[in-house]
Amino acid sequence: MKRAVSMILLLAGSPVLLPAQIGIYQHGTVVRMRVGDCTLIQQRLLTAFGGPATQTGQESCPEYTLLSKEVVFVIVGKSSNQLIPLAETIDFRLRKNELEVRINDARRETRFAIKEMIVRAEWDRLQRHIEEQMKASENHEAARDPNHF
Amino acid sequence: MATFSAPVPLHIPLICALMPLFLLATADAQEALTPTYHSAASEVRLVLFVTDQNGHAVEDLQQDDFAVVDDERVIRNFRSFTRSTAMILDLVVLIDTSASVRSQFQREIADVMQLLSQWPWSPEGNVSVLSFGGLDVRILCSGDCRSSPATDRIASLQNGGSATPLFDAIEVAAGLLAQRKQPDVWPVILLFSDGEDTISLLSFDHALEQILASGAQVYAIDSNSRGTPWKGAASKGRATLQRIADDSGGRCVPLSEDAGTIFNDVIGDLHSARIVTYSEPKSGSNYHSVRILPTHNLNLQFRSRRGYYRRPGCAQ
Repeated sequence: MKRAVSMILLLAGSPVLLPAQIGIYQHGTVVRMRVGDCTLIQQRLLTAFGGPATQTGQESCPEYTLLSKEVVFVIVGKSSNQLIPLAETIDFRLRKNELEVRINDARRETRFAIKEMIVRAEWDRLQRHIEEQMKASENHEAARDPNHF
Repeated sequence: MATFSAPVPLHIPLICALMPLFLLATADAQEALTPTYHSAASEVRLVLFVTDQNGHAVEDLQQDDFAVVDDERVIRNFRSFTRSTAMILDLVVLIDTSASVRSQFQREIADVMQLLSQWPWSPEGNVSVLSFGGLDVRILCSGDCRSSPATDRIASLQNGGSATPLFDAIEVAAGLLAQRKQPDVWPVILLFSDGEDTISLLSFDHALEQILASGAQVYAIDSNSRGTPWKGAASKGRATLQRIADDSGGRCVPLSEDAGTIFNDVIGDLHSARIVTYSEPKSGSNYHSVRILPTHNLNLQFRSRRGYYRRPGCAQ
């Protein structure tokens, strides 16, 4: 029994069974997008290559929240025009600590830095908590507003 | 919350290995916990324009060709998607009469007169004409602008007044449109100006806020001198007009084009527009930023207003 469990864990952890590690595409949905500064990306470049960060001035980089079945990724583009098509489902894979998104129409891939990885169940729980708080806040405001019915 | 900073290659196998076991155990519980909301959501109505990589209008746009990013949330499920021809136009024409547009003033008036005589109004549509210069913002006509007395008033407008209350005039125009706001009425402002404000009580930001609150799209006809490039005040004025047009989802065009071209552009633009509606996503803020992006073809360029203010019952 102990050997069987060890084998399962060994196989489960093996790169052979991990699509992310061998380049097979996973599927996900972009549920959020915002535009933030490019500081994170510049710092990464500085760390990785030891050279000066790219001078991007006030440039802003797109940041996406990508939901896969098991993990939620927060990814950041390297320039302002690095956009993901916002289709219901997109294909992506992990490679060299980055996330590559397949752009179907352009028949190419575009690479994003991974800012955060969150377990999907945790993310879902957090979203529910936020929604509940907002709903409670709305109810509170409605109760204070005599014109609301 | 289990949050990791990338790069974290060693964590990825662990997450992927353990996740299926975890998900199997929690799948049913997840479904049971999914919240259901029964509150009546407000509706957001967006006018949008789409062009291809060559700047040509895209005629066969489908509603699954784009998504709306509303306050950072990606919206793909729309309540409706129609062409703008189903909408009734409520147009306010703003004429700058200040001294700074002296060289172009007669041209402005001629263009407005041509607009009034040739625009293919729908019978239910509405048009108002306002002028601003010196300290005044005057309503020359509202609703009856094709009548003789109204056109006489417009034709007899005098250029003068050293000051330009542009932002105050925008607030008056936005206020008129907001008062008459109806779900199927599309508010549009046609602004003839050089974009220079010298005396308004309101700030630029406040004027922009009023435009967004009214839901109006601004077509700015830049009456800066025909010679380009723009320099100094003309450049600043041009930037002001461009920002107002961009944020409202309209356009900024130079007055140097002939009136026929300008109006054909504007009318063509208005006719090619689409209207999309969706449920307003919940947000802690009264202001929602808006952006429209393609779902497949990244060559498509979308234009719409860049935000709106929510109101109870109707988001915009």
